[in-house]
Amino acid sequence: MTTTDTIVSRPSTPTSRILAVTKLHLANPWTIITLPWMILGIIFAASVVVWLLIHAAAGPQSFGETLEGTQWSGGLNYIFVYMMVVAVQAISITFPFALGYGVTRRDFYLGSAVTFVGLSAMYSLGLAILAEIEVATNGWGLGGTMFAPIYFGEGFFQRLFIFFVTHLFFFFVGSVFASIWVRWKATGVTAAILALGLLLLGVGAILTLTENWPAFGGFFVHFGFVGSYAWSLVLTVLAGLAGFFILRRATPKS
Amino acid sequence: MDDSRPIFVQIAEQIENDIIAGVMSEEGQVPSTTEFAAFYRINPATALKGVNLLVDEGILYKKRGIGMFVSPGAQDTLVTKRREQFADEYVRPLLTEAAKLGITPDSLADMIRKEATS
Amino acid sequence: MTDVIQVTGLTKRFASLEAVKDVTFSVGENKIYGLLGRNGAGKTTIMQLLTGQDFATSGSIKVFGESPVENASVLQNISFIKESQRYPEDFKPKHVFRSAPWFFANWDAEFADRLIEQFRLPLDRKIKKLSRGQLSSIGVIVGLASRAPLTFFDEPYLGLDAVARQLFYDTLLADYAEHPRTVILSTHLIDEVANLLEHVIVIDEGRIIIDQDADSLRSTATNLVGTTKAVESFVAGREIMHRDGIGGLASVTVAGLSPQEKQQATAAGLELSAVSLQQLIVRRTNTSEKEFEQSA
Repeated sequence: MTTTDTIVSRPSTPTSRILAVTKLHLANPWTIITLPWMILGIIFAASVVVWLLIHAAAGPQSFGETLEGTQWSGGLNYIFVYMMVVAVQAISITFPFALGYGVTRRDFYLGSAVTFVGLSAMYSLGLAILAEIEVATNGWGLGGTMFAPIYFGEGFFQRLFIFFVTHLFFFFVGSVFASIWVRWKATGVTAAILALGLLLLGVGAILTLTENWPAFGGFFVHFGFVGSYAWSLVLTVLAGLAGFFILRRATPKS
Repeated sequence: MDDSRPIFVQIAEQIENDIIAGVMSEEGQVPSTTEFAAFYRINPATALKGVNLLVDEGILYKKRGIGMFVSPGAQDTLVTKRREQFADEYVRPLLTEAAKLGITPDSLADMIRKEATS
Repeated sequence: MTDVIQVTGLTKRFASLEAVKDVTFSVGENKIYGLLGRNGAGKTTIMQLLTGQDFATSGSIKVFGESPVENASVLQNISFIKESQRYPEDFKPKHVFRSAPWFFANWDAEFADRLIEQFRLPLDRKIKKLSRGQLSSIGVIVGLASRAPLTFFDEPYLGLDAVARQLFYDTLLADYAEHPRTVILSTHLIDEVANLLEHVIVIDEGRIIIDQDADSLRSTATNLVGTTKAVESFVAGREIMHRDGIGGLASVTVAGLSPQEKQQATAAGLELSAVSLQQLIVRRTNTSEKEFEQSA
């Protein structure tokens, strides 16, 4: 009877292990790539139908102004919330599976983070390009706005940055909630949401009592679109770190 | 009747039976422990114990890198051993059973002769 | 013979329940171990502690000489197939077999393909739509084809029918013979796997009650059957593990008989038979057989 090497002779590097986790998240691209783009397509198609209906109702002469309201279109927001859901699923369901594959929690979290950054890059690039086309075609020839609403900035690079940063925010906020869920289950998530709610209420109360809402608004005016969005990175990084440390002691209770 | 012997002893006995019956011939190769393990559905370590039992008794020998072989003279050795055990394993139980039924050793001998010639 | 696993004074407490109580044992290299015990005895908890999936309350664990917790170099040599493994949303078996090689350096794809065929696993069907048996076979195939130097199977064949279970045992045995590794199998279907095991560890309520070589464990007891008179006179003064009888016949399980004593028993007209591993363990844990089977 021959004996195997007790320790596998080919040691893996941290990079290869982290990339293996990334590949794992992407192994079935349906939920994290295919479906979101499909949803986007459906939302877009629905929006086009709505714009056409509005034009039909309003008549040809009002072409220019009718769809001005869509400058504030919220169509894209569905995607951002969906990204949060994707992150929650990726972390909470893939976590016990990855542990079964012998992945350390550290490698799992880092691999997931890399995946989220990669996905953010892909989506933000795609959306920024679509926004460019939208602007160039004057709202898809219909004056509609979906990819380039005002609050996502102006110009390709601004939008690219803002989309990227926003995706990151929702991914990592989603993953910190997922980490809370994995570690402390429903009780933990409820507590976290309550705590967050109280925190926001508290901040709101303070701002109201000290009559600082104008200052609050002034903050955003001061930094402008890009600046304000950049500040969200602080929250994103905090969420990312929190998620990491929470997951460190989580177990796959099945 | 003793059926409580360890599995590896029973394996060894099975191999001995095959050698005595001539199914495994002297200087012939014996199946590997892996094959025994798979056939009897037992842990290879147990199969190995059984084979090693026979190696210790000189019934089998190992050719390095090739496998296990039946030693020359193994058949004779085994037959002799079994003959020595025959009285204990077969004759005594036969006498005990016969005694229960009131059959004397002489009647027993007659029965044996009759059976042998029929 | 190096020890692949060394556990000392391991304790795991969940809130008020002590699931693992001060457990000490070692696992030698390249043997098939049975980790046996009733449901809830602590088998799965111990496996989760050994694979770093859960954290010990106290005690030390060394796998391949190091603590397995968050230790990639140790964990990549372990495959742990759980009975209740959950898979990512919308995964199909093909996704599992595509991703497994990224994590197991010894993965044998051809072996996996053969097993997929033998277990009749539909590769392209969503895992949530698979039958219990098909779900179990995914875990079994991953555990076998990973060829991890330390492979755990935690009752992975629940839901597999008898044919598939036998296929698993036969394949495990054949592959283990050709590619030796350390295998730890937890189960309560003891008799089915009895002949596969080289070493047996029995857990009862978080404590180890048996930690012994399978063969020597089997020889610690013998079943004697005969007339009540003959049996009783022979077993007088001996440690009796179990007594049964009907009419004038008695069947007694007695502890450890030497070869000479066995000869005496045969001469006394008694029939001797081996005590199955399951019976031994059941009797050692002092539970009735019915209770044991009901927990299964």
